Amino acid sequence: MIVEGNHFFPGPREVVWALLLDPAVLAKTMPGTASIARVGDDRYEGTMAMGIGPITAAMFDVVITMTDRAEPEHYTMQIEGRGKFGFTRGKAAVTLASEGAGTSMHYQADLVVGGKIAAVGQRLLDSVSKLMLRQGLDAMTRELEHRLAGGAA
Amino acid sequence: MTAQHSIEVTVNGTRHAREVEPRLLLSDFLRHDLGLTGTHVGCEHGVCGACTILLDGEAVRSCLVFAVQADGHAVETVEALATGETLHPIQQAFHETHALQCGFCTPGILMTLVPFLRDHPAPAESAIREVLSGHLCRCTGYANIVAAVERVARYGPGTHAEKDAQ
Amino acid sequence: MILGSYMGRRVLRLEDAKLLTGRALFVDDVELPGMLHVAFLRSDDAHGLLRSIDATAARERPGVHAVYTAADLGDYWQPGPLLVPPPPVPGLIFNAATQVPLVRDRIRHCGEPLAMVVAESRYIAEDALEDIVVDVEPLPAVADLEAALLPDAPLVHEQFGTNLAAQVHQCKGDYASARTAAALLVARRFLYDRGASAAIENRGVVASWDARAGELTVWDTTQAPIPIRNGLASMLGLGESQVRVIAPFIGGGFGPKIMMFYPEEVLLPWAAMRLGRALKWIEDRRENFYATTQERGQIHDAELAVSRDGRILGVRDSFLHDTGAYDPYGLTVPINSQCTLLGPYVVPHYDSEFKAVFTNRPIVTPVRGAGRQHGVFVMERLLDLAARELGIDRVEIRRRNYIQPDAFPYDHEILFQDFRPLVYDSGNYPAALEKAALMIGYEDFVREEQPRLRREGRHVGIGVVSYIEGTGIGPYEGARVTVEPSGMVRVATGVGTQGQGHFTTFAQLVAEQLGVEVTSVQVTTGDTRDFSWGTGTFASRGAVVAGSACHAAALKVRAKVLALAAPLLGVPEGALELGNGRVSVRGFPERSLGLGELARKANPLRGAVTPGTEPGLEATAYFGPDRGNAASGVHAMRVEVDPDTAEVKITRYVVVHDCGTVINPMVVEAQVQGGVAHGIGNAFYERLVFDDNGQLMNASFMDYLLPTALDVPTVELAHIETPSPLNPLGAKGVGEAGAIPTGAAFAQAVEDALSGTGVEITEIPLSPSRLYELIARARGGAG
Repeated sequence: MIVEGNHFFPGPREVVWALLLDPAVLAKTMPGTASIARVGDDRYEGTMAMGIGPITAAMFDVVITMTDRAEPEHYTMQIEGRGKFGFTRGKAAVTLASEGAGTSMHYQADLVVGGKIAAVGQRLLDSVSKLMLRQGLDAMTRELEHRLAGGAA
Repeated sequence: MTAQHSIEVTVNGTRHAREVEPRLLLSDFLRHDLGLTGTHVGCEHGVCGACTILLDGEAVRSCLVFAVQADGHAVETVEALATGETLHPIQQAFHETHALQCGFCTPGILMTLVPFLRDHPAPAESAIREVLSGHLCRCTGYANIVAAVERVARYGPGTHAEKDAQ
Repeated sequence: MILGSYMGRRVLRLEDAKLLTGRALFVDDVELPGMLHVAFLRSDDAHGLLRSIDATAARERPGVHAVYTAADLGDYWQPGPLLVPPPPVPGLIFNAATQVPLVRDRIRHCGEPLAMVVAESRYIAEDALEDIVVDVEPLPAVADLEAALLPDAPLVHEQFGTNLAAQVHQCKGDYASARTAAALLVARRFLYDRGASAAIENRGVVASWDARAGELTVWDTTQAPIPIRNGLASMLGLGESQVRVIAPFIGGGFGPKIMMFYPEEVLLPWAAMRLGRALKWIEDRRENFYATTQERGQIHDAELAVSRDGRILGVRDSFLHDTGAYDPYGLTVPINSQCTLLGPYVVPHYDSEFKAVFTNRPIVTPVRGAGRQHGVFVMERLLDLAARELGIDRVEIRRRNYIQPDAFPYDHEILFQDFRPLVYDSGNYPAALEKAALMIGYEDFVREEQPRLRREGRHVGIGVVSYIEGTGIGPYEGARVTVEPSGMVRVATGVGTQGQGHFTTFAQLVAEQLGVEVTSVQVTTGDTRDFSWGTGTFASRGAVVAGSACHAAALKVRAKVLALAAPLLGVPEGALELGNGRVSVRGFPERSLGLGELARKANPLRGAVTPGTEPGLEATAYFGPDRGNAASGVHAMRVEVDPDTAEVKITRYVVVHDCGTVINPMVVEAQVQGGVAHGIGNAFYERLVFDDNGQLMNASFMDYLLPTALDVPTVELAHIETPSPLNPLGAKGVGEAGAIPTGAAFAQAVEDALSGTGVEITEIPLSPSRLYELIARARGGAG
């Protein structure tokens, strides 16, 4: 499954970078995240709930490993999620570019999805993942605006 | 261990009081708790129709109903159709038109047809095929099932073998 | 009064009442005291290394009695047996790899079992599956057939150094010379994909070990109870007579239930013996898509060499066959494709080679048709394309190439799936073709109706295709017929029944010979306690082989009746006749004995018997045909296609069918109707969609579409009967016939409906969206 697109953040690149890599922010903004913690320099572990179609929300153990970090411009993530309803794994690349006072983000992910979720939720995978991504990015944007307005982390 | 719920379900005229888990499917309750194995399970996701029973007189897929939802309600299964050794007219028609082969999907289809024929005593072939489209049969190719329904609609109750005599 | 013959009579089924009233016992209906329930943890990955598996938490869950992984099986862990060795074709390459009971180190397809949980209920067992922690290192999956054979492809079985499961080359004559002499060469790539058998009853096993009696009883949704019994006895170190396998009423077989020694079949009995508890495992529908075998795709690169007047000079075919992660069933499916391609035609030169390829997908074994449809599709399409290019009518080109009725036995000079030469025993192909063309109104359609409707803007088409189905193969089956003192006749045979009506058709055969009412004959099938020699129900052989055995056993009992009654009635045997359940002197009906009475007399408690006699009125007989026979037929269909939405409506479907002598026409017609429904499913609705990682994308009936009553027309059926000389009944098989040529008929009819658009159909299935694509492409290209 390929997920690709762009998103505009109304804030400077350094702030966006910090938010994207902050586990507390990720926990707040990524839909379904129950917990996520940075366990190493480049490693995050957590649990997420996901539901697609006939599969009601099931917990997934997620491990994200950062590679190719080039602050504040680019990073790549290796994603591994496994739960009773299946698994997902793959790579996602994120690039941030300054655009005026804001930041334009380009993302591209190539994910393998397997198990029950792929077997019975296939028709919905595309739309659900796009929806989750949209929700996550919108929440991230709100968090950014909150920070810039002087709000606490 | 999840908490048990007390339920009372009337099945084929007999009231049964049981303690069940909330997640117990009605199909499993009927088949294994009550031993009424005539209702069969083919997919457990509501497509094949093999598990169809009557809930308060309406055809319902028992794999999509929890036993607790049937609390206080009346269920009829295929075991209720025949009277002693005498087959229900629709069962008799199935026999006469060879409308079953392995017989696994048959009880579910019979239970759908009972209220259907009650409400549509003289159905057109298109209506018959449409009501049957909620059931999957891998053996018969449906033709003889359609013929069985037409036969019951045309001749009414009773043994029809003699009507074949040309 | 002597009863009329039962052969060819539409006897209503004796087994119906039980099934209609819900009293028939299916495997999941078996309830035993203290029975526990089993669930399997199955791999989500299609290809990977199982680094570790930890069931500690699962074992601690309340209600869980045991959890087994490969390590827990000890010496019992072994790959299953090779069920069908490769045929003795010279130069054949075959790499045997069979399924394992639980994955030990390497996962090779989605759904492969990793652990077995035994618990108080299936619900708790499934809860416990989530407690098991599995560490898998994923490996790239082998998915594409052609890529799988490239040198750098990941390997499903490393020990072979290749994904080539088999390579088989059969030829006759010299295709190269045919090629040179041809006026036209038609070459295409054909894709034929199939799907799951999707019987409405999933698989299941119940196992119960009685330690005191030393007896193992297994209820199994198998089409082959006797081989299962023998295999289990051997694996478990028991005597064959200590094991009883019962295949009760089975909710549809269609092939995959004759795959043997599935992991669940070998594990439940073993665990039942260890735990001392009865165990039950019932497959759920999603499991069925991975854990039960299926049929899948072949890619054919085929070429037809044909003369100017449409005569076949030769065919060359090179194809790839997807065998899945293991090949326990040998080469049955691709050999069937290879042989059935020749069809009812004279093909002087044939060069056919196939490569079976291992992939990281579930195992492929026969599903109704068993590879025959692939061969039929290729040949019928080549003829259609040749007909079009040569300007010859499609029906006429077939007529010109048929093996003629006086040419039997006809030897095609290659080896069939029963390892015997492919020799057709009897048939009348031209007669079937004429009849089908007449019934579908072919002439009028082509000449008048189609042009007229086309002028009105309607796209209607007709497809007429021809096929051979090899049926009734050996090795053998047996039956025992017993007249009981009550007058009831009991018949026991080893094959199982999955809806084919054996309880009625076999009763007809026996009633015919013994002169009893068919309702006084009770048939038992599929219980090894009642009969334990035989192989099973598969390849459309039940009526031919087991039926012939029933017939032979009945004849033996008949002979015993006459030999016993003659001295008792004081007349020579020739003066006796059977009827109404009695044996009587011809012309003197009052001088008779009931068969039950005779049976009692034949089993005295005192006195002496003539040396060499056997007690009672009972006989066992076996039948093994010399080779398989050739059933045949013609399918014709009319369709209307909406070129804008690509919706296809079947307006008429005709089948003219030859299965030799017909025992019960009602049963035969229903087998054809059901087969056609299956064929329609294959042609248009069903496809197992795997992605590049071996993940199945549609493992439910929501997305794997079976045809419904709205999709299947009522077939108009006619019979032709060319009896087979290979069995005493003259019968041929019919179970798969309906499903075999449907794809080819579909392709021809739809192409005909869209003629002029440039759409050429070289693949099956043809979903509406795929057809839409082909139409759009043709429109875009052709302009």
